[in-house]
Amino acid sequence: MCKSDNIYLPNLATIEAIVDETPDVRTLRLVFQDEQVRENFSFRAGQFAEYSSFGFGESTFCIASAPTRKGYIECCFRSVGRVTESLRRLEVGDTVGVRGPYGNSFPIEEFFGKSLVFIAGGIALPPLRTVIWNCLDLRDKFKDITIVYGARSEADLVYKHELKEWQERGDVRLVKCVDPGGAGPDFDGKVGFVPTVLEEAAPSAENTIALVCGPPIMIKFTLPVLERLGFTDDNIYTTLENRMKCGVGKCGRCNVGNVYVCKDGPVFTARQVKAMSQEF
Amino acid sequence: MPQIITEQNLRSLIDLLVKEAKLVVGPKLSGSVVLYEPLTAGSDLTLDALPRRSSKELFFPICEDILSYKRENGAMKVADVDRSKFPETVLIGPPPCDAGSPAILDAVMSWDYKDEFYLERRRKSTIVGIACTKGDDACFCRAVGLAPDAEAGSDLFLTPLKDGSYSCKAVTEKGEALVAAHLNLFAEGAGAEPVPFVDQAVEKLDLVKIKKWLEEHFEDPLWEKIADICVGCGACAFICPACHCFDINDEGSTDDGVRRKHWDACGFSKFTNHASGHNPRDVQNKRYRNRIMHKFKYYDDKFGKTLCTGCGRCIRACPVGIDIADILAQINRG
Repeated sequence: MCKSDNIYLPNLATIEAIVDETPDVRTLRLVFQDEQVRENFSFRAGQFAEYSSFGFGESTFCIASAPTRKGYIECCFRSVGRVTESLRRLEVGDTVGVRGPYGNSFPIEEFFGKSLVFIAGGIALPPLRTVIWNCLDLRDKFKDITIVYGARSEADLVYKHELKEWQERGDVRLVKCVDPGGAGPDFDGKVGFVPTVLEEAAPSAENTIALVCGPPIMIKFTLPVLERLGFTDDNIYTTLENRMKCGVGKCGRCNVGNVYVCKDGPVFTARQVKAMSQEF
Repeated sequence: MPQIITEQNLRSLIDLLVKEAKLVVGPKLSGSVVLYEPLTAGSDLTLDALPRRSSKELFFPICEDILSYKRENGAMKVADVDRSKFPETVLIGPPPCDAGSPAILDAVMSWDYKDEFYLERRRKSTIVGIACTKGDDACFCRAVGLAPDAEAGSDLFLTPLKDGSYSCKAVTEKGEALVAAHLNLFAEGAGAEPVPFVDQAVEKLDLVKIKKWLEEHFEDPLWEKIADICVGCGACAFICPACHCFDINDEGSTDDGVRRKHWDACGFSKFTNHASGHNPRDVQNKRYRNRIMHKFKYYDDKFGKTLCTGCGRCIRACPVGIDIADILAQINRG
């Protein structure tokens, strides 16, 4: 990446495309400006980066595109603060900074030969979407792939075009849902909270890995469901999305007890999460 | 045979170092208070009071540029900060509770990812620590395993003698080099009796026992009892020699500006606030618990060191009287 030993120096990237996923969630497709960086940048599914909007600062998002898709990266964010609102004002052709990739990743190779169940809520689909496409691009390495994804309302479902694509593929089982009251007249998914819908969908736990990402309240109610379905804590993975600044284990913000989410995570098994100080 | 330097020669040493174009920093009256500030002459050195803020800011400034950006002909350019221009620096006069802090912070600044802003300043600095003969009722360095005569972190260590001179011990090669380059200011000899070190009425803490207690009492009524009164002002973190939390922000326009790293505090209510509005440390006692846990458990878990030098500044500064030494003593008594 950067030749400098300044760990805070970002690479520059151009916004190649913008997709509005929901009224306040946006995807940016970014292409590194430096040819060498463009060719050599590599990451693993689950890693994150610090994205900067010059004049405002940096925000932490996962790399939402798949490592199997070369030549660009994507991030997906909800515009809620100073930096994300400024990122939202940028247009195609504008420049952003990208530092990373940081953190650990999902051990995809260890999942070869197994079935996968992805469970995501709201804007927590992007951290799993990188894994989903990574695995779909290596489809023959895995058995059944199930995706349970829910949001508050139909409008809050992100990656709508990709949900359609997954729904139409014969080799993926997509169960999408919205919270009660969130469905429009033509909604073709289920109505209910993610943990309940997951329990009804009842994916088999046999030789299966569950990957869960969502707001803390969803995780809290999803883990017991997975347990009832027969998943062990070693076969459940999640990625924590704590507030970060430096991304490199120094600024003191993302720790859960003595675990630095930026360095020790963000990907953890349910067993690791349960061993942490309960400070989420 | 130990080396001796008279007070006058110590001040001459500062004069010489300034002439050598080194940045010399030491306790100095700045406005109405003593702070670690650049010394322009030996006469600036003020050893009567512990500076209000610690000397960590010499290596880890309150606020520093980490890059600059500028749009030129429509294209954004980012420029690194030229760290080779950081000056050769001599820090003169920190007591062990300040001199010892870089030796603690080196670990977090250099594990895996290396913060070259901090590390380059460390490489270019020589620390001349002075044994502490002053201290007050808030001091508790002995309780956390340091001492008024602890050499840890110093390159050259001075011990005040009753005749006003200092005995000198070169602790590192940097300290030896400093003496060797100014040998005419130092004299051989045993010197006078040392001034008695500050006497602290503190109980020695069993840091292993305290860490074990912390491990077992993440949830404990103590946290609410001691920390619900915390107003979250962050003063304790800003004046601490060992706190190292920081934030990163841009200053300038979207076309031209700098990115800065600046001190932050885990006591601030928004410190861990997620974009969603969820906050893992949503109430003040959880934030104070993190402060204690970080200093006496987490940092030790990661780096095998305690993140506290017992300088007592947080006790003196706390507007609501939170006394970390007393809290530790309570835990220590079990």
